[in-house]
Formats: sequence, structure tokens, C-alpha cells
Amino acid sequence: MTSTDLPLAMAVPETGRRVSTRIWQTAFASVEFKIGLAVFVVLLAAALLYPELSGIDPSKMNIRAKLTPPIFMGEGWSWAHPLGTDQLGRDMLARALVGLRYSLLIGVSTTVLMLLAGAMIGLFSGYFGGRTDTVLMRLTDAQLSIPMIILAITILGVSRPTIPSIILVLGLAGWPVYARVMRSTVMSERRKEYVRGAMVLGATDLRIMFTLLLPLVLPPMAFVAVLDIARMMIFESVLGFLGLGVQPPTPTFGNVIADGRKYLMNAWWIATMPGVFLVLTLTSINLMGAALERARNSIYGGA
Amino acid sequence: MFILRFLARRLGQGAIIIFLVSALIFTLLRVVPGDPVRLMVGGMAPDTLVEEIAAEMGLRDPIYVQFGRYMGKVLQGDLGESFVRPASGAAVGGASFDDATRGERAKVLDLIAETAPMTLQLAVLAMVFALMVGVPIGVWGGLYPGRLPDRLALYTSSLFVSLPNFWLGIVLALLLSVKLNLLPAIGYRGFSYTILPALVLAVEIAPFIIRTLTVSVAGVMGQTFIDIARVRGLSRNQIVFRHALKNSAVPLLNLLGVQFSMLLGGVLVIEFIFDYPGLGLLTINAVMQRDFPLIQGIAIVTAAVFVLINIAVDLLATAIDPRLDY
Repeated sequence: MTSTDLPLAMAVPETGRRVSTRIWQTAFASVEFKIGLAVFVVLLAAALLYPELSGIDPSKMNIRAKLTPPIFMGEGWSWAHPLGTDQLGRDMLARALVGLRYSLLIGVSTTVLMLLAGAMIGLFSGYFGGRTDTVLMRLTDAQLSIPMIILAITILGVSRPTIPSIILVLGLAGWPVYARVMRSTVMSERRKEYVRGAMVLGATDLRIMFTLLLPLVLPPMAFVAVLDIARMMIFESVLGFLGLGVQPPTPTFGNVIADGRKYLMNAWWIATMPGVFLVLTLTSINLMGAALERARNSIYGGA
Repeated sequence: MFILRFLARRLGQGAIIIFLVSALIFTLLRVVPGDPVRLMVGGMAPDTLVEEIAAEMGLRDPIYVQFGRYMGKVLQGDLGESFVRPASGAAVGGASFDDATRGERAKVLDLIAETAPMTLQLAVLAMVFALMVGVPIGVWGGLYPGRLPDRLALYTSSLFVSLPNFWLGIVLALLLSVKLNLLPAIGYRGFSYTILPALVLAVEIAPFIIRTLTVSVAGVMGQTFIDIARVRGLSRNQIVFRHALKNSAVPLLNLLGVQFSMLLGGVLVIEFIFDYPGLGLLTINAVMQRDFPLIQGIAIVTAAVFVLINIAVDLLATAIDPRLDY
């Protein structure tokens, strides 16, 4: 964000949309992004279609087929259960894929929530400055110094966790970083010519904030937020593992793995196989996110 | 003189942060439903007894009164006593409400002091592992931006951040300790019990090291003083190790300060999986048992360490790179 090298080009800022298009194009040109996207699309399609098309209910028990190993692994495997079954004969593939749905749902909604909340707070804080700013920034300092997992388990530990409450708690714990980035960018932007020009022309504060600054500053932040989707999915699974996520019988990665941990010695696949799906999904999202982050950094000169 | 003024300012700010953390946790614990007294005395105790004990402990006073009383003690270095843990050792729930040992509960400060060295040992070992993996990959990637080593750095870090710690812990325990019988996994009976948890924690830390180093080494190598060093006839190794690495150390240090709380979050889950008796396991148990004084104590100590680490990081950074301002 140095304005010293290109005084003329910086006087007229690129619109958010043009920068976004360039970031997309640069990222899409990279191998990482394409690999990530391909894997992600396959997994997403599987998660959306397989449980419906196969007609297998992830919570339907079948005691006679209990503890079937995955295909080609050990005795008694069958094509009916490619990833085997758990101690109650429930199909592991269906459970993993339904878990993936919840994981993605919570990961994406949480990220959107904290991005928007953080952006709003940072926008007001950075634009108006003064006492509001001081209070808000000290609050984010304080929050950043408590591990968010302590916050999350403290709040979810007593109430029965539901999908909205999990999204809210994770979002609550994650907004400070976005507020900080937004605030510092807005602070440097608002001193620039075009903002002062708009002020001279009589634009109101709200108009400048929402029609000039927000469209300019939000997109580059949103690209990096892709990485946070993966982070939030991990947090969701950690909560599930501790018994504080979406509650059984709904299968989520966390509760399925926690469940399978008890049978680790004689049925290793219950705890490990769903994790493979989670890792694949997270890797694909992280590859896309990393490619987007690099593209953004190369366009903004590494800021 | 400058250093003194810097220290005074940062310690002042730190005190504000610690105060806010205490207030935040304190309020949160009392606003969220769930009565710790009920857990202490057990489900069988009559309601009147619950109320009696709660009133005796001051838990029915307004929150700001409780907070004032608590902070008064904290300033004198007294973090209070655990609600549920007896001084003798093992944690007990509230099985019987007329428990004779209820009088002598463990001091929060003692509990933290007992477990913190274990966590420190885990964290240091994990950091060593993470640096052993992260520094070569990160530096190599930074030296060849856009080429194969850089790609490799990107793929490794993307894969590592995608491994959930609890799952990796289970898989490694299954492979290394159940199947191959190489390392012990559960509990703590000697130094070897630290290795497996440290490996898992290292995988969580390494991607941040790799990413930061790749970016900063690539940035430093593109600067003019590196070209000049080449003209001065320094060998490539000398340039990389003396100039580039030294300058890339500052972003790495800053990262350690910022990521400290994330590191602690990882420690929490990992200690829980491996039943490793450190601060993380203590925290999880404290939260599960709604042990207010213990949770508050841990939060305050954590925030204080966070503040001190960040001050130390900034001091070290200015020592390495004198151009930086306090």
C-alpha cells in the first residue's frame, strides 16, 4: 500500500470489482487453485448427492453388518459399505458425507458472519477514530489474547449446542482480526485524495463509508477469508470432538471421530476414515485460499 | 532511557488488556447458564443448601461486587481457590455435599504452577520440531519464488494446516504407538511421553513458519543490499545465512507473538487427547466442571504471558533490526 512509487495511479483508486477480477484471474491461472477446485467440486458433489442417491440413511442401524471393515481391508468387507460400518452397523461413507455437509454449512456461515461483523466494526472504528476506536481496539486486543477455544467451550459447555449457537460463538471469537485489518486499511484510505474530494463535494460520512470505502476494501479481505472457512471447519470439528458441537444422532466429523476413538483397537476405520474426508476437503479449500492470498499479495505488492 | 519509556508504556497497555480479559471472562462465566454450586454439592443436595452455600461464597452478589472483590485479591497475588479440586491432589466432582475435605481446596496459583512446566516442555519441544521442518522448507521456498521449492512449501503448508490436531493425534497414536510400538501415547510417565503430543503440535505450528519465511526470505532476496553483497563477492551461502536469514527473523518473531493464543488453543486439545497433565488439560477440566476461579486464573495468567511475550518479541526485534522503532 505504498503510495510513494505510483503517485498518479494511486490518486484514482481501482474499483473493488476490477481488482477482484484480476485476483480471480491470477489465482485461477495457478496449478494449486485448479487442483483445489477440482477436489473440492468432487467432494461437494459427493456430499450433496451420495446420501440422497444411494438412499442410505446415515443413522440407520444394522447390527448384523456392524464393524464391517472398509473395502479391501481385512475380512468381511463388502461393496455395500465402501468405508465400512461402525459399532451399530451405520454406513461410514454416508456418515462422513453428511458430516461434510454440516461442516461446510457451519464453516461458510461462520466466516461470512465474522467477516461482515469485523468489517463493520473496523469500518466505523477506522473512519471515526477517537474514543470509539480506542475502546474497540482495546477490546480486540483483549479478545485476541484469550484462546478462542476457551471462549467457545466456556459458552457452549452448558447450553445444548445448536447450529445457530455454534455459528454465533465461533463468529464471535473470530471477528477481531477482520476488525483490525479493516480499521488500518480504512484509516490509510480515508486520508487519500478521492475521499477528501468526496467530502468536499458534500457526501455524507455514511455514503463515503458504504459506497466508496467498503466496496474497495472488503473484496481483498474476503479472498483471504477463504482460508478461514477451513479454520472454522476445524474448530467446528474440534467442538464436535469435545462433545460441544452439533449433537448426535446427527453425524459430524467431530462426534463420529470421538465415537470411533472408543473402538480404535478393533475397528480403526471408524475414527480415521471420516478424518480423511475432512482432511481432503480442508486441503482443497486451503490450496484455493493460498492461491487467492498469493494473487492478492502480488497485486497489492505484498501488503 | 527510550527502553524504559517503552517498557512503561507497554506494561501499562498490558495491564489494561489483562484487566479487560479478566472482566470479559468473569462476566461471561456468570452470564452463561449453569450453576457451579450445583456441580459442587452434587445433584442430590436440596435447593436450600445450594442457595446457602452460594450465598456464603458470595456468588449471589451483583456481578460488579463479585468482580471488585476478586480483582482486589488478584492485585495481592491471590487467585483464589478451586471450587472442586481438593488440595490433596486428584480432582473430585461433587459426589457428596457433606464432604469433609471441602474445607481445603487447592489454590489456583498452585494448580497453574504445577501444570505450566509440563506445557512449557511440550511447547518448547513442539517449537523445536516445527522449526526443524519449517525453516528448511520455508527458506528454500523463499529462495526460488514461483519455482518447485516454492510450490513444495505451499503444498506442505496447505496440507499441514488441513490436519485437525485431534484426528492427527489419533492416527499417529494408532500408527506409532499401537502398531509400531515406538512411542508411548497416553498419560505422562517420563520425557518420551512428550514426543508424540509435541509432533502433533509441531504440525500445527509449522505451516505458519513456512508461510512467513517463504514470503520474508523472497522479499529480502529481492532487495538491493543483497545484490550489493553479491557484487562485494560474498558467496551465496554467506548471503543467505548472514543477510537474508537475519532479516527474515523479525517477521518470524512477530508471528510467534501473534500466534501465541492459537498455540495455546492447540495445546488444549492435544493435551486432552493424550491425557497429558499440563495447563491445557487443566483448562478443559476446569471448563467442564465450571470451576470459575480456575478458569479465571488461567485466563489471567495466559493474558499476562501473552502481553509479556509480545513485549519481549518487540524488544528482540529491535535488537535484531535497529531500524525498527519501539
